[in-house]
Amino acid sequence: MKNSILQLFPLEYRLLWQQTAQRQEYIQEIRLRAGQPVILHMGGREVFLTGDGRTTEDCRGAYRMEGGTLEQIFQHICHYSPYAFEEELKQGFLTVEGGHRVGVAGQAVLEPDGSVRTLKNITFLNIRIAHQIKGAADGVLPRIYSSGRLKNTLIISPPGCGKTTLLRDLIRQISDGNAFGRGMTVGVVDERSELGGSFMGRPQNDMGMRTDVLDGCPKAVGMLMLLRSMAPEVIAIDELGGMEELDALRRAANCGCRILATAHGENLEEVQCRFGVDRDFWDSFFGLYLVLCRKDGKCVVKQALEGREAFA
Amino acid sequence: MLKLLGSCMILTGCFGMGLWYRAQFNGRIRTLRALREILELLSGEVRYGRSTLPECCSLVAKKAQPPFGGALERVGQNMRDNIGLSFGETFQKEFEEAFEGMHLKDEDREAFLQFTRQACHADGLMQLRAMEQSIELLRRTEEALEKENAEKCRMAVGLGAMSGILLILILW
Repeated sequence: MKNSILQLFPLEYRLLWQQTAQRQEYIQEIRLRAGQPVILHMGGREVFLTGDGRTTEDCRGAYRMEGGTLEQIFQHICHYSPYAFEEELKQGFLTVEGGHRVGVAGQAVLEPDGSVRTLKNITFLNIRIAHQIKGAADGVLPRIYSSGRLKNTLIISPPGCGKTTLLRDLIRQISDGNAFGRGMTVGVVDERSELGGSFMGRPQNDMGMRTDVLDGCPKAVGMLMLLRSMAPEVIAIDELGGMEELDALRRAANCGCRILATAHGENLEEVQCRFGVDRDFWDSFFGLYLVLCRKDGKCVVKQALEGREAFA
Repeated sequence: MLKLLGSCMILTGCFGMGLWYRAQFNGRIRTLRALREILELLSGEVRYGRSTLPECCSLVAKKAQPPFGGALERVGQNMRDNIGLSFGETFQKEFEEAFEGMHLKDEDREAFLQFTRQACHADGLMQLRAMEQSIELLRRTEEALEKENAEKCRMAVGLGAMSGILLILILW
């Protein structure tokens, strides 16, 4: 039951989701829209949920979710305390126990300055199921060490290609120690609670015995906090997003920390363009770039480029 | 001698009954105060920690008086276990059990549980306001009771003793 998707639903709807929950490891996304069929993304294909909890490829037999039901599910996901997720709702998503990310859409309420205050009349939910796959990083471990020393590594992929899963397993294996290196103290800034799936500050996923997780904290601030307080040998962050974070990464690296990070993108060039930092930085800062993609419904490493080699 | 002994027993019994009534009056005020304190602690957690309601219950459980501390702990635990019930349902169930055998009236229970019956609020201030309404209702009842309680307590003990004397006179 732990981390089961059944926990996302109130008691009265659990029977409907029972069969789906049994195939949780194959589910990437659950899309709920008021008045529309419930769509599941399983193993790279799209199927519809029927009224008796089975799946079909024919949308005519699909179960259509009512607005009230969706509202109830949203309240349940928020632990009946949406006010506690105010900041997350402004961003349009929240992370629930188990690290599943719930994207939310509805009607935006704006502040006088035009920024988003909150979302109301929530009528669309996109539940992205997090998967902890122990051993997911086995294949890349030999490459991220060089003479027993961990390389600064950037994992790049489009959404849904497994970069968070890979990073989570790398953290676990580096923290616990593995065939290529001793166990190291890892500091994780888990801004969106996706890596640890923390609940009340305690990670629900196995993050390794030497891992300290700073949950819900902005990455740039969190990295510096960890540096000051927890003396990490490795700092790990998911979804490198802005220059502020890149600067914090540089400071951490200058303090002798090794870096593990992920970034959205199809390839290294795309990431490089997005940040607009000169080539020398990318050339020297990261020792390894892992580019992921999805092939035949499976997440695979498309390219593993050494720092210098990537720009040769 | 027997008459004297019987009279003493009647007097003690009636006086004791008066004291029991006094304890009842005070017990209700003490319980109301404990419930108000729980709500104040919960609203403090909402205000400063921005914690979810189940988290608030777990955090406040250790500070609350028994048996309410246990009830709060169970609410937090049940919500963590995610058995599928809503926060309101879980909270009401646990507290209805904790209220059993307590000197509380229906309106006291209703005032305390009122904030769980309202829809969950997206705005922290609205959530706090819902809790403050319950606090206010409990405080008003508490104040009204305190005002009349001293008199009631005196009357209960006095009437107990006087009824004992009356019975002795009749039976003598």
